[in-house]
Amino acid sequence: MPEDTAPAQPAITAPQPGPVSTWLSSQGFEHALLEPDHLGVEVIGVEAPFLPVIAAALKASGFDYLQCQGGYDEGPGGRLVSFYHLVKLAGLADQSTASQHLPGDVKPEEVRLKVFLARDGDLTIPSLYGLFRGADWQERETFDMYGIRFEGHPHPKRLLMPEDWKGYPMRKDYVQPDFYEMQDAY
Amino acid sequence: MAEALSINALRDQRSASCNPVGAPSVTSDLSENVILTTLDDLHNWARLSSLWPLLYGTACCFIEFAALIGSRFDFDRFGLVPRSSPRQADLLIVAGTVTMKMAPALVRLYEQMPEPKYVIAMGACTITGGMFSADSTTAVRGVDKLIPVDLYLPGCPPRPEAIFDAVIKLRKKVGNEALSERGNLMPTHRYLTVPHQLKAVEPIVDGRYLRAETQKAALAAAAELPVGAAIPATTTA
Repeated sequence: MPEDTAPAQPAITAPQPGPVSTWLSSQGFEHALLEPDHLGVEVIGVEAPFLPVIAAALKASGFDYLQCQGGYDEGPGGRLVSFYHLVKLAGLADQSTASQHLPGDVKPEEVRLKVFLARDGDLTIPSLYGLFRGADWQERETFDMYGIRFEGHPHPKRLLMPEDWKGYPMRKDYVQPDFYEMQDAY
Repeated sequence: MAEALSINALRDQRSASCNPVGAPSVTSDLSENVILTTLDDLHNWARLSSLWPLLYGTACCFIEFAALIGSRFDFDRFGLVPRSSPRQADLLIVAGTVTMKMAPALVRLYEQMPEPKYVIAMGACTITGGMFSADSTTAVRGVDKLIPVDLYLPGCPPRPEAIFDAVIKLRKKVGNEALSERGNLMPTHRYLTVPHQLKAVEPIVDGRYLRAETQKAALAAAAELPVGAAIPATTTA
């Protein structure tokens, strides 16, 4: 039975710039606007050479915590992506020391930076290790799984797979080697 | 008779009731003081009562195995004393998923154990790869592709009681062995040996992480960053 009211078509509109994007524009940092995620977290696309500058500016503006760094593969023919999730924690900590109980609707400010790399292009991103020490193993794992190289990383080597492994296992086009140990046991 | 007879009264009763031949007088002293057994049985009894497992575990199975060491399950009563050196162990309970990175270490541990040695493959991961057998890029599908396995203990993970059951079954296996057949039981080429043609290179992982030159350089470079040194107090978005 067809619905008598047409479902509201999601209008194709350009994403509205969020507070972080507005601030970046006011400071003259080039970036791309992306759709916010399902929780409303602002997502900003960044060119690889400008990542350390923008991350340093954001850190100076209060985003003092790299909550997560990771990568993903967009799929066949798609790009490889490295993302950085930044949170403002110092302001929240000041607030919680000032008052015993924080109201429940207090949320830390968050922003996610994404660096898009062409699959067959130069897969190099400047490392954020200098800004955030926590990027150490996260960038190593992203290198291990996707082959994205982080320039300036103190230990540019695999984290989880054996050091002499060939290929990057989390890529969509990864082909599992047919080793005897990894064939079905039955 | 309510009260127990003294040994002399028992002998009197036996000599009186075993007529007309009479009680065997020569061996009675012997049979009451000497145990006759075979050397195999004695040897096996000693071995199966002191199966020392290697303190080895890689994943959640080892949580169950570690419960055995505590007083609640207390596997010392089976003579199992966990050893931290493979040279002193004669039982390897492979507890937990073995990855391609762990596999060489596991094989080396097994090879360092003295003969005779026994292996229990504990949990689904070590038998077939378990839930990792579907699409894992690195899990070894069945640890018996690396080392010979004496006993498969299924479960995900098995309860500590199940490990006891496996140890008891292994004790039965040890008890059935004979010294004269010992040479036949030695594993020859039961695990895969490939004549690798490898070229030795400098190890990438050398144990120095924080003291590595690259680490020092990165920290020095980070200290020079204006943001790393001092963060402006408030720059609102």
